[in-house]
Amino acid sequence: MITVEREQRDGVGVRVIWLDRPDKRNALTPGMLTERVSEAETAAVAGDAVLLAGRGKAFCAGFDLAMCQAAPDGSVMRLLLTGLSDACRTLRTLNHPVVVAAHGAAIAGGCALLGGADVVVADRNAVLGDPVVKLGVSPAVSVPFLRQSVSDGHARARAIRPETFSGDQAAARGLVHVLVDDANDVIERALDEAFRLAAIPSNAYASTKQWLNTIESIVHRREDEAGLEASLGLTGNAEERERLGALDFGSSKKGTTP
Amino acid sequence: MSELATLTFDGPSATLTLNRPEQRNALSTDMLAAAHACLDELEAKASPPTVLVLTGSGKSFCAGMDLKQVIIEDAGGIETPKALLTSLAKLTHRLRLLPSVTVARVTGAAIGGGCGLACVCDIAITHADSTVGFPEVDLALCPAVVAPWLVRKIGAGPARRVLLSGGVMSGTDAHELGMIDVLADSLDELAAATNAAVRSLCSGGPLALRATKELVNSLDGSLDLDVLLRGAELSEKVLSTDDAQARLRARRK
Repeated sequence: MITVEREQRDGVGVRVIWLDRPDKRNALTPGMLTERVSEAETAAVAGDAVLLAGRGKAFCAGFDLAMCQAAPDGSVMRLLLTGLSDACRTLRTLNHPVVVAAHGAAIAGGCALLGGADVVVADRNAVLGDPVVKLGVSPAVSVPFLRQSVSDGHARARAIRPETFSGDQAAARGLVHVLVDDANDVIERALDEAFRLAAIPSNAYASTKQWLNTIESIVHRREDEAGLEASLGLTGNAEERERLGALDFGSSKKGTTP
Repeated sequence: MSELATLTFDGPSATLTLNRPEQRNALSTDMLAAAHACLDELEAKASPPTVLVLTGSGKSFCAGMDLKQVIIEDAGGIETPKALLTSLAKLTHRLRLLPSVTVARVTGAAIGGGCGLACVCDIAITHADSTVGFPEVDLALCPAVVAPWLVRKIGAGPARRVLLSGGVMSGTDAHELGMIDVLADSLDELAAATNAAVRSLCSGGPLALRATKELVNSLDGSLDLDVLLRGAELSEKVLSTDDAQARLRARRK
């Protein structure tokens, strides 16, 4: 589920959108992605900055794979992929600051959400990555957004290699912008960052952000839709069914990406 | 040629010096016209220098836009800021397309448009305690002309963070981000570091260097002048808002 808190300092507002399923390491459901988009839009209407954060030990461990497994026709996976693409695009196009506090872990769909942020704060030892090819799922949906953050070479390697990397490594590649030593300090640091950005004159912020989106579409030929189509095209196939079906959620409370 | 920008030659290299030291080489229409004239002279050469060093006289490389020309009531209308932004956009494009390898030697400070001039160069060199960055949004301005160059220089994600966060940073931090390619420990060591980089570049085959630069320019979209001119229009639009003008006037005082 999603919960929202509004923080205020010196007349400036930051809306903290919490992923709030700590017992499932904040595994994403289709409803959470839809709610997240709608809460971010509400914050923007109010003129607030947005901070995305997760309750518990980790920011987000990816899609709720137990839900995906229960729908072998791929219907839940399709909803999640589409919701993820919508969430990243919405965050990217909001006129207001968007900060992500990626403490502990940001895996698969959780890592993809970093592509929607203006600023990402993480701890040095956070575990990040998108190793979903192991599950027969293509991370293509997130590539158009992450290409805006890291070089094409890193985006290619990140999408294809089924491995995770540390916050330190992510910062070196440009995926994380502010690094803190202790995971417990990430959310507070991210809140400071959100307030700092929220204090910038809003017209200048919005104009600059929109212009960066325009430049990126010129320089990088943004292909959000193509990425989503590539992921959807694979959904529900035999390989994915077999690999998702082999996951045993009885032995783990996580229910997310292994 | 106006003395607001000078061009000197030394063997296979040349140096273009911004020359308004009392104004910390702030970008004015006159100084940009003088810089354009220097590029006219360079482009007319049958055999261009292998390396062009871009630098500023006095303590600062370039302090950004001349406030007198972007405060509309001082400038006598929007035409001057418009001309300034368009001239800067065209100058950055011409520097990028020069057949010579360009090296920015950043002394003291490179702010806003001045930092953009450093980023458009093929190689940027500064010292650890210089001050560089893009504080435009703090003044309710949009760094739209220089944004494409920073995106190409350090990548879209880091550029997003730098441009949306405003403020300035040290040469050391800029080096870590990739905005600066070579970092001298101190201002005293900057000349030697620049000379070493220029010597090293000049040891390459001029035709190979030129062909490589042309290829990289075509791969990263540097040939696109239109995006820079659209950036100039956007900057002008944001600059003319009441908020931006009020902040600029406050800065003048």
